[in-house]
Amino acid sequence: MILRLAIASLGARALTVAMTILAIALSVALFLGVEKVRTGAKASFADTISGTDLIVGARSGSVQLLLYSVFRIGNATNNVTWDSYLDIASQPQVDWIVPISLGDSHRQFRVMGTTTAFFDRYRYRQDRALQMSDGVVMDDLFDTVIGADVAATLGYAVGDPIVVAHGLASFTEHADQPFRISGILAKTGTPVDRTVVVSLEAIEAIHVDWQGGAQIPGRATPPDTIRAMDLQPSAITAALIGVQSPLQTFALQRAINEYPEEPLLAVLPGVALQELWAIVGIAETALLGVSAMVVVTALIGMMATIFSSLNERRREMAIFRAMGARPATILGLLVLEAMLMAAIGATLGMALLYIGLLILQPVLDGAFGLWLPIEAPTMREVWTMVGVVGAGALVSLVPAIRAYRLSLADGMTVKT
Amino acid sequence: MKPTIPLLLAIAAGPAFAQETRQMDAHEHGVGSLNIAVDGSTLAMEFHAPGADIVGFEYVAETDADRASVEEAVVTLGQPLDLFVVPTAAGCTVTQAAAELEVEGAHDDEEMHGEDDHGHAEEGHSDEDDDAAASHTEFHAEYQLDCTDPSALTEMTFPYFETFENARELEVQIVTGSGAQAFEVMRDTPSLDLSGLF
Repeated sequence: MILRLAIASLGARALTVAMTILAIALSVALFLGVEKVRTGAKASFADTISGTDLIVGARSGSVQLLLYSVFRIGNATNNVTWDSYLDIASQPQVDWIVPISLGDSHRQFRVMGTTTAFFDRYRYRQDRALQMSDGVVMDDLFDTVIGADVAATLGYAVGDPIVVAHGLASFTEHADQPFRISGILAKTGTPVDRTVVVSLEAIEAIHVDWQGGAQIPGRATPPDTIRAMDLQPSAITAALIGVQSPLQTFALQRAINEYPEEPLLAVLPGVALQELWAIVGIAETALLGVSAMVVVTALIGMMATIFSSLNERRREMAIFRAMGARPATILGLLVLEAMLMAAIGATLGMALLYIGLLILQPVLDGAFGLWLPIEAPTMREVWTMVGVVGAGALVSLVPAIRAYRLSLADGMTVKT
Repeated sequence: MKPTIPLLLAIAAGPAFAQETRQMDAHEHGVGSLNIAVDGSTLAMEFHAPGADIVGFEYVAETDADRASVEEAVVTLGQPLDLFVVPTAAGCTVTQAAAELEVEGAHDDEEMHGEDDHGHAEEGHSDEDDDAAASHTEFHAEYQLDCTDPSALTEMTFPYFETFENARELEVQIVTGSGAQAFEVMRDTPSLDLSGLF
């Protein structure tokens, strides 16, 4: 009975009610959307590297090493000598090891020297392997494999020549060494998309005619001569390691961290990612806080609408009282109306979120490598909605109690 | 010839000392670390904690009482399942346990010997002939456990904090086949939710 009354009463003020509901719906959609992006970003972030047990580099900090070797941002870490690399590679606990050499670039993209094992061992998003979208893995000294973003941004296709530059913001290009694109990787949503992959030897080959950061004038060793040279690198930037058994991870990590010949650092990628996220996470919490405030604002807006409706509904309330409604019924009616608005708003917000996700999911994945799964609402989201309805009831109590008091005092004597 | 021999020795000794690596681990009082690695039904655990957390002092045990508390601590640390409790459903049994006290940074303080006299009295519990004047001590333990049902390892509680009242925090790192994760276990909330890890 009271429910029918509430619905009819809301229907009578359709426009104001619709606006209030829209405000709640938008705020709820924003809040849930931020939550979705937050968890999605965290998952995408944590999925950047998987299947690697240890990352080894020069002693720095775990976050710095991770940022530079995996995300290719931040300050360069020192190099690791080739001797130490071989030493570590020969440890019995090591199942596989992939060296990484950074420091050169192609336009705005990093060039990474590594071995072909990288393509077999690098895993992202829970054990997904790298896939070629076109072409094959490099097998010649001057072959390169480029990430999806590199190909898309620079419009490269398999077979195109490519010039690798010295340093990052490069004005001196290694124009004398003709590289060729042998393959293009499928989109991964990881920093690999923005990387030009060459062999470790190629990194050395680029620098054959270079000394002290400048090209030796008039010298251009023909590619065939370079091929015949001993191009074993003297140093690498970092190495990815897989251990035989998880049980040996900590022992190997300690052995590397205490390696007496060179100050090295071995980090657990999962733990370093967590550390990094703990730093980034503050912004995430702030964002969540702001969107929660938006929900609160919408609810206060609803309270204001109810307040202003009280005046125009005085007569209505008086009639209810005249027909035998108790003051508590008036209070219940107002709270019920508010809860109805909040519930409709929250449901509509959820619907808006899913519509938004459907539209934006491919866009976000393509542009930012951010994958937001479309799945049934989580318990947390359901509780958020329940919370919004509860909070709606709570804020409506303020005008409802006022109406309750008024209906006691001047219920029957309306002064116009 | 005679005077040259000490000279030669000095020359030979010089580079030998220069090549000695000097590095020390992090040492934070109140904070211990526990590394757990899981492979199939085997659990390997490594535990480190500053001496201050476990016995309340870091000098080399001098009195009988000190030595007794160190020994007692080593015995206690040899019982991992009393300190780090896992659900009985997992059916874990200890197959190996070893605990010891390490004195850190003591062996390369050669020049310190002349200045300090008081450090020589110890016939230390530790295996090194150390001058502990400027050193930290650390308890170190390694365990191997066998669990009949590792999937039942849904949580871990830490009576460790009740046993050792100077310990404030334990940094736990867990490595499984699917990756590594880190947790901080504080004295106020001495438990860890491991559901979904195994």
